[in-house]
Amino acid sequence: MLIDSHIFSHSNTFLIMEFLNNTVVLSRMQFALTASIHMLWPTLTTGVGIYLVIIEGLWLKTRNPDYYYHARFWAKLYALNFGVGVATGIPMEFQFGTNWAPFSEAVGNFFGSVIGFEASWAFMLEAAFLGIMLFGWERVNPAIHYLSTILVAIGANLSTFWILTANSWMQTPAGGEMIDGKFIVRDYFQAIFNPFTLKSVSHMFLATLETSLFVVGGISAWYLLKNRNTAFFSKSFKIALAAAIAVAPLQIYVGHLSAEQVYHYQPSKLAAMEAQWNTIPAGQPANWSLLALPNNRAEKNDWEIVVPNGLGYILELKEKLTEPVLGLKEWKPEDRPRLVGLIYYSFRTMVGIGFLLAGLMFGSVLYWLLGKLSAEKITQQRWLMRAWILAAPLGFIAIDTGWIVRCVGRQPWTLYGQIRTVDSASDLPAGNVLVALTSFTITYILLLIAYAYFGSRIIRRGPRFDLPIPEVEVTKPAIDTTPGEFVPDERPVEAKQ
Amino acid sequence: METLTYLLPQVWFGILALFLFLYVMLDGFDLGVGILSLTSSTEERRSILMTSLSNIWDANETWLVLMGGGLFGAFPLAYSTILNALHVPIFIMLFGLIFRAVAFEFREQANRKFFWNFAFGMGSFLAALGQGFALGGVLKGIQVDRAGHFIGTSWDWLSVPSIIVALTLIQGYVLIGSTYLIWKTEGELQKTHYKTATIAAVTTLIGAAIVTVITPIFYESARTRLFSQPLVYLFALIPLLGILLIWQLLKSLNQKKERMPFIWTILIFLLTFIGLGMVVFPYIIPTKITIYQAAADPSSLVIMIIFIGALIPVMLFYNLYQYVVFRGKITTGNYGEAE
Repeated sequence: MLIDSHIFSHSNTFLIMEFLNNTVVLSRMQFALTASIHMLWPTLTTGVGIYLVIIEGLWLKTRNPDYYYHARFWAKLYALNFGVGVATGIPMEFQFGTNWAPFSEAVGNFFGSVIGFEASWAFMLEAAFLGIMLFGWERVNPAIHYLSTILVAIGANLSTFWILTANSWMQTPAGGEMIDGKFIVRDYFQAIFNPFTLKSVSHMFLATLETSLFVVGGISAWYLLKNRNTAFFSKSFKIALAAAIAVAPLQIYVGHLSAEQVYHYQPSKLAAMEAQWNTIPAGQPANWSLLALPNNRAEKNDWEIVVPNGLGYILELKEKLTEPVLGLKEWKPEDRPRLVGLIYYSFRTMVGIGFLLAGLMFGSVLYWLLGKLSAEKITQQRWLMRAWILAAPLGFIAIDTGWIVRCVGRQPWTLYGQIRTVDSASDLPAGNVLVALTSFTITYILLLIAYAYFGSRIIRRGPRFDLPIPEVEVTKPAIDTTPGEFVPDERPVEAKQ
Repeated sequence: METLTYLLPQVWFGILALFLFLYVMLDGFDLGVGILSLTSSTEERRSILMTSLSNIWDANETWLVLMGGGLFGAFPLAYSTILNALHVPIFIMLFGLIFRAVAFEFREQANRKFFWNFAFGMGSFLAALGQGFALGGVLKGIQVDRAGHFIGTSWDWLSVPSIIVALTLIQGYVLIGSTYLIWKTEGELQKTHYKTATIAAVTTLIGAAIVTVITPIFYESARTRLFSQPLVYLFALIPLLGILLIWQLLKSLNQKKERMPFIWTILIFLLTFIGLGMVVFPYIIPTKITIYQAAADPSSLVIMIIFIGALIPVMLFYNLYQYVVFRGKITTGNYGEAE
């Protein structure tokens, strides 16, 4: 027996067997898979929702039919997106109970309420008005229709608020205390607006918006590159670009504020994000590692490329820090995140994409200022258009890697510092979870493929310009002011006088 | 304070019962139409069926999300224990809901609609089946320890009574789906659903009769409660009222009324629901855990009444508004845009 276990503990088969028998690991895999794939769709429903509000507003203001056709075209993609978002979202809510029962029971007082708030504040609003937004063009007047579009966007973005509130509270639990294994809320305001909430909500709000802008811009660029409806799509391209001027740099700034939060409240996560094994004492130069190969067992980086004093400039804009940066070794191995490499590279991917998108925005603005995006010249900017097409999926990658940093970096805790992940999972038979995980994997991959297939099909077909434009005038003038037919005065000249 | 510890969980039991009832009624006809679509003879008919749901299916499904969120917040112990015990039926339901939800848009875009037709119909069926098993499982009783944590096995919910409960629920959904289609369609399609409604009314009645008889026999939990004075008189009234309502329903179907069958069906659902509620109350996990044991902290229940309860009239209003906007018969299968 001893010999056997010694031999097998080093073999991969044994590790896989152990992994397949571990309900906690399987439940985590299931959550990670369903969350990271689900997240792709709400990203567009929230961001494109705002874009639709802008487009429809422009239509109502200018009465230019192009904007109406824009609203119809993007709404079609929106509907496709929304359906898959709902379908993949419902399992999220239920797996807290099925797979994470002890966690749910312990935090239900606050976390459960917030999930309920999301349903009542956000989902119902979005779901109820989406029908009118998509199918109601000829059934309600333009003002009511516009109101519906606005309410759908508000509903979607309220979801961002409540979900990020719930997750922020898992990062920095505030507003109450654990009593007999249950979180009792003392102050709801403090719990909702916990230290992470506002910056996290802003960061995610901007992320969905920025991703959506680059998706709209990227799809528009595809048409421009193909020379299809160029006047039409240069409109949406320029709207996306104009909005990105504000959003892309702001996102970098808010991202920086979020990292500062981590520095103050979750030092073990920051240490993993930077693969910093040893503490840098206050007053010492703080180097920043650009690239590294973290080695968990040896508790060091096997190799790294270092920017001297980089971390000092990033965190405090000076060479030497006034506060220490704690290294991973400050915590016992069981009290710190284990997947250092994953967190480290996810963080760099997210930040890299943030700068890349901002760079693309600056480059495009330069082209715009030089007049290269004018009606005659825009289709000649083939490389710029290709860059935008390539940039379209980047926002999604940044969002998923960002969530990996946020949630894998929070380990070994579900509720930071209070409840461990190993104590949070339901005691389900591993076989059940494995079947569920496998089915979710297959289903979600199938959904991704079908979505990409049908989405690209809608794009290849392009917008329809034969849809009836709804009556713009809400009320017809009571007195007919149209000029009447000219009737020449044929009376004799004498009679007129 | 003492009254609050009783009153607040009772209020939340009422709110969740309302959410569940709205869900069973609204997604009931939604899933029912989905199951009926499996029997649609032509693509045109199937399109009309799906068009009749296109603008409301997500709002209907949201009542389930609301129920889940409300249960999570108001009775965390019940949420975690019940879902933990019902992992398999919930899983069946979720997969059903996923496939039917994506089928709406994917089918509209697809050239070969066969797969998505099947996904829509089977998805609806599986969702209903999962819900029926879940209901049967809860009624059968969930094995818990003294703290209320689940200690049974993952197939405890499966039994002959729970299969009967599940089949009856599916019949009920087909019934309410048929009567909804009678209301929303005309011509041949409407004629077909007068037939399906009549058949479903009879099978639902048979199923309900069996469930009513076996409940006290198989479910010990229900037995003690059903035969306790003075409730026994009330419980005796429910089957009588039920027979009266089904008779009214069959009469209205026979007279080819357009709206009354749907309304009678809703009343039958409501009656069943009241009956179930009386069997279960004050338990949330029947005969093991009461609503008072499972309830969240009073402060949470109060804040949830403010943040969720107060929104109920608003939510009902804009759901109703939707139905007003999309009133009238569905005559074409093009819900997105005219081709």
